[in-house]
Amino acid sequence: MRIVIAEDLVLLRDGLVSILTGTGHEVVAAVGDAESLVRAVTDLRPDLSIVDVRLPPTFRDEGIRAALRLRPDPILILSQYVERTYAADLLADGRGAVGYLLKDRVTALDDFLDAVERVAAGGTVMDPEVIQQLFARNARNRGVNALTPREREVLGLVAQGLSNSAICAALVLAPPSVEKHIGNIFAKLGLPASEDGHRRVLAVLAYLNG
Amino acid sequence: MRNVKALAYLVTSMVAGGAGLIWTLATSLLMAVGAVTALGAPVFLAVTWLDRRLATAERHRAAWVLRQRIPDPYLPTTGSGWARAAAVAAQPATWRDMAWFLVLFPLGLVFGIAATVATAVTAALILAPAWAWSVPERRAHPLVRQAMGTLPGELLLTAAGLLAAPLVLWLVRRLAATQARVAAALLGPGEHGRLVQRARQLAETRARAVDAQAAELRRIERDLHDGAQARIVAAGMTLALAERRARDGVPVVEDMATARRQLDAALAELRRLVRGIHPPILTDRGLDGALNALAADCPMPVEITVDLPVRLPPAVESAAYFVVAEGLANAVKHAAATTCTVTVTIPGPVRVLVSDDGAGGADPAGAGLDGLRRRVEALDGTLIVASPAGGPTQLTAEFPCAS
Repeated sequence: MRIVIAEDLVLLRDGLVSILTGTGHEVVAAVGDAESLVRAVTDLRPDLSIVDVRLPPTFRDEGIRAALRLRPDPILILSQYVERTYAADLLADGRGAVGYLLKDRVTALDDFLDAVERVAAGGTVMDPEVIQQLFARNARNRGVNALTPREREVLGLVAQGLSNSAICAALVLAPPSVEKHIGNIFAKLGLPASEDGHRRVLAVLAYLNG
Repeated sequence: MRNVKALAYLVTSMVAGGAGLIWTLATSLLMAVGAVTALGAPVFLAVTWLDRRLATAERHRAAWVLRQRIPDPYLPTTGSGWARAAAVAAQPATWRDMAWFLVLFPLGLVFGIAATVATAVTAALILAPAWAWSVPERRAHPLVRQAMGTLPGELLLTAAGLLAAPLVLWLVRRLAATQARVAAALLGPGEHGRLVQRARQLAETRARAVDAQAAELRRIERDLHDGAQARIVAAGMTLALAERRARDGVPVVEDMATARRQLDAALAELRRLVRGIHPPILTDRGLDGALNALAADCPMPVEITVDLPVRLPPAVESAAYFVVAEGLANAVKHAAATTCTVTVTIPGPVRVLVSDDGAGGADPAGAGLDGLRRRVEALDGTLIVASPAGGPTQLTAEFPCAS
C-alpha cells in the first residue's frame, strides 16, 4: 500500500516509516507540516495518509484541518490525545475511510496494521478513548442505558469500527451470539438494521455523537 | 422621593455643618492642650475615634443621596499609646474627616439656605390662592402685592410657581448631589488609601496564588511519581528480565507484551495528567472550541454562549475553562441538574457564568471551588458561588479585561 506520513517529530516519523516499510507497505512521502502533506497527497495520490494532529507552524489542529481539506481521500489521524469534537469533525461528511487513533496504539502492531488496512479500504476506525468519551456523553441516554453490559461492550467495539468476526475474536463469542447482540442493540437504539459494514459504524457513531 | 431625600439631606446638613464646626474647633483646642500633657495620646485617640464614627454617619448620609456605597478609607492600626496615635495621625483619612466637617459648615449653610428658600418660595407661589383665601388680613411682599388682590393674579402666581417647580426641584437635587460628591471625595478612600488597600489585596491574592501553585506542583509531582514514572520503571524491569531470559534462550514474547502494556498505561496516565494541567483542545481551538467540547461531552443539555471577538490571554482562558469544567462537573455529579447554561461575555470584565437547575448546596470552601477561587484571584478576578440548599447553583467568575 502506498502511504504518505505527516508527522513533525522526527523520532516518531522514522518509527512509523520503519514499521510500515517493515510490514510490506511503501511510504511514498514522509513530511513535517500540513502544507507539504496537502501537496504530497495531491501529487502522489497515496492509498492512505497518516497524519499527526499537531503540526507546525502553530502546533494546534493543523492535521485535522489538512485532513478535512483532503477528504474524501482516506486519512488516518494519529494524536497524542483524542478529542471527541475532532472525531465528530472527521466523521461529519459521513463517507468513511477515516481513522482517529492515539499514537500509543501504534505499539499494538497487529491492531494498528489492521486499522491501516481498514481505513484504506474505506472503513472507519475510532480509538477506544473516543468511544469512552462518547459513552460519557450518553450517560443519561435512555437507549444506551437500556443496553446490557455485554451489549454495551459490543456497541463499543462496533463504534470502534470492528467487523463481526473481529468482535467475535475480541470477546471470545460465537458469531451467532454477536449477531444477536447487534440486532438487540440496533433495536434498542432505534437504528435501522444494517449489514456488517461501514454504514453500520457510521450510523452508530452518528447516534452517539447526536 | 429623590427630591424629598435631597432636600432632607441639605436641610440637615445646615445643622450638621454647624455642629461639625463647633465639634472640630473644640476638639482641636482640646487636642492642642492635650498634646503638651501626658493625656495627649488618649485624648487624640478618643477624639479621632469619635471623628470616625461621625464621619461614618456622614458617609452613610452622602451614600443615601448618591445611592452608592462610599467605602471606608481607614487602615487598621496596631500598638497603643503614642505609637497608635502616630499611626492614626499618619493616615490621611484622619485629617480628611476633619476637613470635611470644616467644609460642611459653609457648604451646608449656603446650599441649605439656597435649597430651603427656593423650595419655600415656589411652594408659596403655588399655594398663593389658598393662602389669600385662608388669611385675608395678609401682608404680602411688595413684589406680589398687586397680584395678591385679585383671583386671576393669584392664579397667575400659582402658574408661575408650577413653571418654576421643575427647575427648583432640579436645583435641589443638583445641590444635594454636589455636596454628597464632595463628601464622597473627602470621606472615601483617597488615592493613598486606595493604593494601600490594593497593595494589601494583591499581597493576599499573590500569597494564595503562590500556595496554590506550590500545591499544584506537589500534586503533579506525586501524580508523576506514582503514575507514569512507576509504570515506566516497571516496564524497564520487565525488559531487563526479558533481556536475561533471552540470553538464556528462553522465549520472551510474553515479557515484551507486558512491557508494552506497562508503557501504554504510562502514556494514558500522562495524558490524563496533561488534561488537568492544560487541556490540549484549549490550545488548539481557543476558549470557544474548548467550552463547546466540554458542553458536548456533558451528559445533560448545556446551552452555551461565548461572545468573544478576541482571544483572551492564555491564563484567563485556562482559568475560565476550569471554572466551566468544575461547574459542569459539579452540576452533573453533586447537584443532579438536568440543564445548564454557560455564558462568557466581554466587554467590561470578562464574565463567565455557569448556572444549573440542580439541588444547590455547593460548598464554596470545598477543595474544588476553593482551588478555583485561588486560580481566579491570582488573575485579579473574582469568583462568586451562589448555591443555596435546594438550588440552583450559579458560578460567576470575572476577570479584569486588561490582565
